[in-house]
Amino acid sequence: MKEIVVLSGKGGTGKTSILAALGAIAGKEAIVADCDVDAANMHLLYNPKIETSVEFMSGKVATIDESKCNGCGNCSNVCRFDAIKIVDGVYTVDEVNCEGCSLCSHMCPENAIIMETQKIGHWFTSKSKFKNWFVYAKLGIAQENSGKLVSKVKSVARSLAKEEKVEYILIDGPPGIGCPAISSITGANHVLIVTEATNSGKHDLVRLIGIINHFNIHASCIINKADLNEEAAKEIEEVCTQNKINIIEKIPFTQSFTNALENKVTLAEYDDYELNNKINKIWTELKNKEEK
Amino acid sequence: MKIAFASTGDGWNEKMDDRFGRAKGFFIYDTENETTKYLDNSNNNDMSHGAGTSAAKSIVDEGVKILVSAKVGPKAAEVLKVASVKIYNGLDNGILEEVYREYQNNGLEMQV
Repeated sequence: MKEIVVLSGKGGTGKTSILAALGAIAGKEAIVADCDVDAANMHLLYNPKIETSVEFMSGKVATIDESKCNGCGNCSNVCRFDAIKIVDGVYTVDEVNCEGCSLCSHMCPENAIIMETQKIGHWFTSKSKFKNWFVYAKLGIAQENSGKLVSKVKSVARSLAKEEKVEYILIDGPPGIGCPAISSITGANHVLIVTEATNSGKHDLVRLIGIINHFNIHASCIINKADLNEEAAKEIEEVCTQNKINIIEKIPFTQSFTNALENKVTLAEYDDYELNNKINKIWTELKNKEEK
Repeated sequence: MKIAFASTGDGWNEKMDDRFGRAKGFFIYDTENETTKYLDNSNNNDMSHGAGTSAAKSIVDEGVKILVSAKVGPKAAEVLKVASVKIYNGLDNGILEEVYREYQNNGLEMQV
């Protein structure tokens, strides 16, 4: 079993578009997992039939027991997130603002504040229109992705891969380099970086490479929108060379990315011969890499 | 001296876990008293964020000086470094007993 994670550092580089297309080409050869749960959107392209749906619990939220509350207001004063306010004469927690830090519950002289585990969303196993297994999650309003949820989605994908004897797991990783991104790298065999030829693309690429080097994982890179800023593209190539990261493809800016999305199809299905070829080449390249 | 393994369960026959912060638990061997202890990690595993640093704290609180684990994340590694805990890579899917033997033979790679 080989686990390939697609990461970008910066958002909006085309990471998900490329991964969705790779998953479409791979078909039954790969299980696809969407770990970019803050903005889970691959299911829009995959038209999945849900097989299992499981509630996901994570993080805590404060609840005030009105019968114990003496109205001292300590909780409201100490809250850094302005989450406790007086509503109709009683102190009430605004669940959207509450970060679950528990400070109020420690400061309450009456022990009137209970920290409760929250249901934050669901994770799903499904069969996509490309006949492969697709694991993804959806969050409730104002909930955020976490390392815990990423590790859950990944472990579900792994056990499916074992059961169904599927060789590849393709993971759409979260943007950034924080907890969820690190969680998506853990245990992976290869990181496919999708960056773009802009200064911010390069800046975030450097930070991402720092993490990849820390975990000592093989990586390769795709420069998307490679003709946007030739200077930035050149600098990205230099950074990759210094870090022994192979650039496997450069994709010039094309409207096809947006057009494909608007038509709810992956790049593999979209009528752009040149781009189809490039995506096919990337998948072949990735498989060869893993065999070596 | 105490040596801890990021483990999938309690006992020398258990396998290494492939994560550190969200490992199932830590199997700790005290080389002086020749006693073992299992530290359940489900509390840390359950955290949305910061599982790595919390697991590192648990390891330091136990007085562990050697940690054998899958690659430890950058922040947790910093915590362990300050507490002078040495970190070694385990063996993929390795049984703890084998991994310990490998450690004794200086066969484990140190994490930078």
